[in-house]
Amino acid sequence: MTGEKDTIVHIDNVTKRFGNVVAVDQLDMKIMAGEFVTFLGPSGCGKSTTLRMLGGFENPSEGRIVLDGVDVTSQPPNRRDVNMVFQDYALFPHMTVGQNVSFGLELKGKSRPEIERRMAELLDFLQLSGFRDRTPDQLSGGQRQRVALARALAPDPKLLLLDEPLGALDAKLRGQVQIELKDIQKRTGKTFFFVTHDQEEALTMSDRIVVMNAGRVEQSGTPEDLYFRPESRFVAEFIGETNLINGTVRGVEENAVVLDWNGLSVRGSGHGHRPAAGDNVTASLRLENVTCHNKKPANQNAVEGKVISKLFKGSRTSLDIRVGEREDSIIRAIWTLAMLPKLPMISSGLAGSRNV
Amino acid sequence: MTRNTRILMSVIYWAFIVYLFVPLALMVTMGFKDSKFIGFPIRSWTLDWYAAVIQDTQVLSVFGYSMTIAIATTILSLIIGTWVAVFLGPNQFRGKAIIFALACLPAVIPGIISAIALRIFARLIDIEPGMFAIILGHTVHNVPFVALVVMARLSTQPKSHIEAARDLGADSIVAFFRVTLPYLKPALIGAGIFCMLLSFDDFVRAFFLGGYQPTLPVLIFAKLRSGMSPEINAISTIVLIMTAILGLWAERSMRRLNKGS
Repeated sequence: MTGEKDTIVHIDNVTKRFGNVVAVDQLDMKIMAGEFVTFLGPSGCGKSTTLRMLGGFENPSEGRIVLDGVDVTSQPPNRRDVNMVFQDYALFPHMTVGQNVSFGLELKGKSRPEIERRMAELLDFLQLSGFRDRTPDQLSGGQRQRVALARALAPDPKLLLLDEPLGALDAKLRGQVQIELKDIQKRTGKTFFFVTHDQEEALTMSDRIVVMNAGRVEQSGTPEDLYFRPESRFVAEFIGETNLINGTVRGVEENAVVLDWNGLSVRGSGHGHRPAAGDNVTASLRLENVTCHNKKPANQNAVEGKVISKLFKGSRTSLDIRVGEREDSIIRAIWTLAMLPKLPMISSGLAGSRNV
Repeated sequence: MTRNTRILMSVIYWAFIVYLFVPLALMVTMGFKDSKFIGFPIRSWTLDWYAAVIQDTQVLSVFGYSMTIAIATTILSLIIGTWVAVFLGPNQFRGKAIIFALACLPAVIPGIISAIALRIFARLIDIEPGMFAIILGHTVHNVPFVALVVMARLSTQPKSHIEAARDLGADSIVAFFRVTLPYLKPALIGAGIFCMLLSFDDFVRAFFLGGYQPTLPVLIFAKLRSGMSPEINAISTIVLIMTAILGLWAERSMRRLNKGS
């Protein structure tokens, strides 16, 4: 039995090469039982290869994969207690929903009454009870996705792999399915290994996000960690929208780093980084942290600027503000509708900048 | 397209249809003529020729013989052809193109040449001319058609289907029989019916590889040599109707199955 805090998967220093291309580079990571882990990154970053190695569809070039204390590195997919929700769902077209869901149970050698019981339980759990005798081509995209989930959950795997399962759904449905999926994960207590390139999906559902880039882990942490305390330029840019400020360090104080940005002085938090004076660094300033005032406040991070473009996006408006003299000193800010009437046209304050 | 070309096109089309169907219609009509002599005018009609066919034990036994050969050929061709397709399909290896070309060769070799070659070969390895030799000859000829049809279908199967089956606990053999084979069903039905028709219809190979017992086309040929009789028209009409029904049914069920997946 595994407790709440036990390691369920250990990806032990795994490297995967395809010819000369290194897809995954010395990945070392532990996944806890009951955790919702998301591997996030652009296409080709190695997230899908990692997933496929966990499923047994690719063999690592180096390193081991340990599942619940057992080395499964060389075990084929059918021998692993791991199931997968495929990107295209891969439902068997010639089988009904019920047959699809019971497929894995039959192969596990379960008795007929047991299969029936488990299948009925899962179909009920995923609100598919009425669809048992339909074939996949008679279902909507969202229903197919739930069938794929039911089929993968049926054999009671130790780890559930999800390979961009929301990619085929339309935008409206996707938001709803995100909530459902998180809810299902909580209620089943299963360990979910989710792969996506969509940062919003990652932020809304995950207990932990692992951002990958070029085969390596850029940063791993809670959604809040990654959003508010990105450790690299890549992470800051990949998650959410941000202003990147390239500057030279003027000095380091107790809790802050002071930057020279095109002649303007900017203070920000170093988040553990302690750059030396004179270093060239990049700071990230989230759009929603830029506040605008009609008069320049006494705030340390207040600068004057001019709104050069305004983009109305319904519930919010994005502003491009040029601060200082230089053409490239542009800050983007987000304004909610409620703030719009007070919108100043000339000055802008700068707050909450961070140093990365 | 101008008006004139459109008219020209439809004239050519209808001319083709007439060319296709008039001989068939003539053949069918003569089977109902109450006279031994084929030709116009037709003074009275009869079903006697059909009654004669149904009572002719030789025709009936030959019909059964041809059917047996066709069914055995179809089963063998489907098994070997599917195996070739699955073997050649996804794997990349040296010499794949050559093996593929060799497997397809029997489909394009002229029937008379392959018939003579098979006859010589059968004698060399001491196979008596007869049913077994004909089945082997037909199978060699049919396997490429099965392989091509199955390969085409196989290439449309998403790789994830097999991976999903493997993921849920199937080894590669179980995955093949429970997921891939059902996916191939429309292709197998189509190829199977095509094989049956090819085998049933074949004259050259059956003539060279057969023993004393003739197949239906060989029997018709033998009967023709002793003079044209409306009985032959009656046999031919029955065969025509049966094959047409089989072909149409195959086409319909393939379309339905293809739509379903």
